[in-house]
Amino acid sequence: MNFREARGPGPGRDREAGPSAEPDLGGLLAHVARGDQAAFEQVYDRLAGPVYGLIRRVLRDPAQSEEVAQEVLLEVWRTASRFDPSRGSATTWVMTIAHRRAIDRIRSVTAEAQRDQKSAAAAMVPAPDEVAEAVEGNLDRERVRRCLGSLTDLQRESITLAYYGGYTYRQVSGLLGTPIGTIKTRIRDGLIRMRDCLGVA
Amino acid sequence: MGTAWGWRMKLRPDPHLLTGAYALDAVDDAERDRIRRHLARCPACAQEARGLREAATRMALAAAEPPPPQLREKVMAAVAQTRQQAPAGEPSTLTRKGAAWRQAAGRGRHGSSAAPGRAWMPRLAAVAMSLVVVAAVVLAVAQVVTQSRLNTARAQQAALSAVLSAPDARTATASVQNGGTVTVVYSHDERRMIFTAHGLPPLTGGKVYELWLMAPTSNRPEGLLDLQPGGRAVPVVASGLRPGDQTGLTVEPAGGSAQPTTTPIVVVPLTG
Repeated sequence: MNFREARGPGPGRDREAGPSAEPDLGGLLAHVARGDQAAFEQVYDRLAGPVYGLIRRVLRDPAQSEEVAQEVLLEVWRTASRFDPSRGSATTWVMTIAHRRAIDRIRSVTAEAQRDQKSAAAAMVPAPDEVAEAVEGNLDRERVRRCLGSLTDLQRESITLAYYGGYTYRQVSGLLGTPIGTIKTRIRDGLIRMRDCLGVA
Repeated sequence: MGTAWGWRMKLRPDPHLLTGAYALDAVDDAERDRIRRHLARCPACAQEARGLREAATRMALAAAEPPPPQLREKVMAAVAQTRQQAPAGEPSTLTRKGAAWRQAAGRGRHGSSAAPGRAWMPRLAAVAMSLVVVAAVVLAVAQVVTQSRLNTARAQQAALSAVLSAPDARTATASVQNGGTVTVVYSHDERRMIFTAHGLPPLTGGKVYELWLMAPTSNRPEGLLDLQPGGRAVPVVASGLRPGDQTGLTVEPAGGSAQPTTTPIVVVPLTG
């Protein structure tokens, strides 16, 4: 299991320059787009962990998460030719698909019916994922935790509910009993602070 | 303002403030479309949204955990049997700006089935569909191939064939108030429709025909029609069809509108 390469958020890595020994993710996707299955295996090794982890954070249920992760990874294979570097990094392209698919699943009617405030509360506090904690040196996890810690409570709660909880900002407003306009601006302000704190473009 | 159709004019606050919620996918489909249109016009906002999405990616990576060991084998087995999509090429009038991106992120549960491929004509025989309508769509698509970038047309073709070969595909035809006919082929299973029109009168003063997916609570803009000589519109593939949707055309000022500002000149129910 070798998905650590994808994570390095440090300068020089997040733009996918990557260490010279490894082809960058965008370059790999170009090979994948031409039907290169070996290149896809490398993409898998880098991103299966982040894809699965994100989906599981949102959906919680491991079986559903595995199913959605499989769909997402296959979608990366099928649509690799659509990746456009001018719109963002390759990692972001994949993680956007993953998050969107998780959201689709959770916003489907049946899933909606099963959700309640309890799961909302659970989403607010990042689950102690023992397995993931055991993974050595997840710099992203530490950085993100530190940067989330620098936000106001309302910014942090709004952002984590929206992203990890899969709620719309309107639902977040309802869950937190805070006006929609306030939530909207707190999410934006908070995410701008996150961006600056994380040092991404 | 089309009150006869029960159009609901939403209050529309500054979409710029929604870049954060957009970057976190914390908006509904109608808002997402509206924000995308805004970003297309506002480079600074687009840049902000890109940066915020990269920040969201760091939050995604922070949630990484080892996937179940069997996942690798499953994915690789599926990959070996799954046809890939052709490159989308540059966005053109055929697909709205960002459509390729949205399409990439917009494939749903059909993602795990094999891509439909090119040979969709024979499969049409199984579909209870008027040959005349099929001929009209095929003709329209053929014209696109000559009039648009070939690679873009190819990208459309996968979506077109998915709809046309869907077992639940249906067609609907309607006359337009001021002349012309629209034909819609749609599949609720695929959650897509193909919209074609011919005989539409040209518009003056920079006005445009704008296509909508309409539901009681929201109207989603699906792009501006690209009118060819003879009033034939380049076919539009719209995704995200929901039960109960209708589709309609309005005449809008140059550049189109985020919400309809005139009474629709044609409305077609997309009954399931």
